[in-house]
Amino acid sequence: MAAPQRARPWLLLTHRQALGLMLLPYLLGLVGLIIIPALLALGLAFTQYDGLSLPRWTGWRNFTLLFADLRFWAALKNSLFFAGVAVPLRGLGALALALLLNPPRQGAGFYRAAIYLPTVIPDVAYALIWLWVFNPVYGPLNLLLINLGLPAPVWLVDPDLAKPALSLMSLFQIGEGFVIVLAGLQTIPREVLESAALDGSNRWQVVWHVILPLLTPWLALLTVRDLIMSLQNTFTPALIMTGGGPYYATLFLNHLAYEEAFDGFRFGQGAAILLLIVVISAALLGGLWVLIQRWGDQSDD
Amino acid sequence: MTKNQAPSGLVHQYAPRRPKGRLAFHVFAGSVALVFLLPFVWMIYVSLQTPGVTLPRGFEGFSLPNAWHNYARIFEMLPLGRYLFNSFLVTGLAVPLTLITASWAGFALTQLSARWRRRLILVSVGALLAPLTALWLTHLVLFTWLGLINTYGALLAPALMGSNPLFVLLFYWAFRRIPVEIFESARLDGAGVWLTWRLIALPLVRPALLAIGVLTFLSYWSDFIHPLLYLKSQALYTLPLGLRQLQQLDQTQWPLLMAGAVVMTLPPVLLFLIVQHYFLQARWFSAIEH
Repeated sequence: MAAPQRARPWLLLTHRQALGLMLLPYLLGLVGLIIIPALLALGLAFTQYDGLSLPRWTGWRNFTLLFADLRFWAALKNSLFFAGVAVPLRGLGALALALLLNPPRQGAGFYRAAIYLPTVIPDVAYALIWLWVFNPVYGPLNLLLINLGLPAPVWLVDPDLAKPALSLMSLFQIGEGFVIVLAGLQTIPREVLESAALDGSNRWQVVWHVILPLLTPWLALLTVRDLIMSLQNTFTPALIMTGGGPYYATLFLNHLAYEEAFDGFRFGQGAAILLLIVVISAALLGGLWVLIQRWGDQSDD
Repeated sequence: MTKNQAPSGLVHQYAPRRPKGRLAFHVFAGSVALVFLLPFVWMIYVSLQTPGVTLPRGFEGFSLPNAWHNYARIFEMLPLGRYLFNSFLVTGLAVPLTLITASWAGFALTQLSARWRRRLILVSVGALLAPLTALWLTHLVLFTWLGLINTYGALLAPALMGSNPLFVLLFYWAFRRIPVEIFESARLDGAGVWLTWRLIALPLVRPALLAIGVLTFLSYWSDFIHPLLYLKSQALYTLPLGLRQLQQLDQTQWPLLMAGAVVMTLPPVLLFLIVQHYFLQARWFSAIEH
């Protein structure tokens, strides 16, 4: 192994050192920008901290204050609603559209592009578009409903409808899940489908007994990612469209954490909410895991 | 290596072949596509309405709107040109930085010993579970210490680490499909890690490179919360903050708001339309194209 040694004249690095150097930016970022900040935030949950003076240890006080706060329970309910209703619907939509548009048919490429397009629209712009769509007086949605002779609700101003409205608009930004399912479908070997077809199974039987079980890991990936994203990361639409109202009907947990920390300068309180979000998402992911296992067992029979 | 996989679309078995079935497919898929395109069409339609005029409430008297001056108007109301430039600057720096650091890490992962690779992948997946909102809290404090508040350093810091552990993992999956022998023979020929990465690995994962580049572009271009938290002076604002300002200036000038939304949406949509063919092939992970 003398040859490779000579061929590295400009930088005397061993293979391992060079690899380490390549990994360094990522490792530094992983530790400095994610792991340590996440642990610090975890610690902040048990303190009182306004961002100016030093954090003061208060134990479980932030949590007892939260549990006495009606806004917290409203936000919890809203977040669980979104996780339980919007996330499964988004997954089903992505699955159905990918099954429909995976076969190479004329025009399929155009339809796929059309499905992905809303996902490309930046959050702020997307929120403004739907603010207009849901506008009770001028919005195209109510215009259509009125012309059809149907009742025209006030959507975002109605505490019962604001959340479903936000869920509805999220159903059109499913490009990422759509691509994940498409990628999963591409990994299914042709022979598997051919032999299923030879058995005389019809289309739905093929989908149900052959395609879906093979897609399980991809569907799990999609759902996990969507759960995490929707519980923990995205609240820009609600922030812009409703500000969490009416009557906290669209106040999500992460939005509440944001308000506590950055508007109210109660960083400890904000961190406590975030810690609870992590616990809740972990519980939901655990439940999902059990469901997938069960389903896998059933389809083996 | 892809012998046992159909190269594209393999579900002919349940695809209807009769002309009647084909028509049904186009009617159905076409209506779905239309629904997905409608918000986009509405945005452009409203952006060209004359502001202040009551919008038509029925479909009678429909005519194509042509108030192109709305676009000039919003650039006069706010320094949107400046914001647009800033957005391009941040995104233009973030995308190449991310692609380099994320592909470095993804490539190095394929070369590590199995034990270290497993550990690092586990940590990366774990990092994906950390709520971003929790990171904002401590990033704000960290960036204040480092004097990065009100600079693009605060926005670009994640790009130095590949922006998102997901991108690193995507690169890793793409590189993993390249037969190991190729790397080994390159190494025996005297190519170091850097040369192998640049000359052999990257060209073989072009679909993944493109897809991750687009995802990075979209995430930095649309980013609203980070600029909101870290940027204080208006001269540094990016487009999402500008759009928010426009909304706060006047909530009811729908044509102007929609014109702003169009300005913000056009660059990502154009980019997407250019690359969509590769992007939607869903073959990001296929390393070698035959």
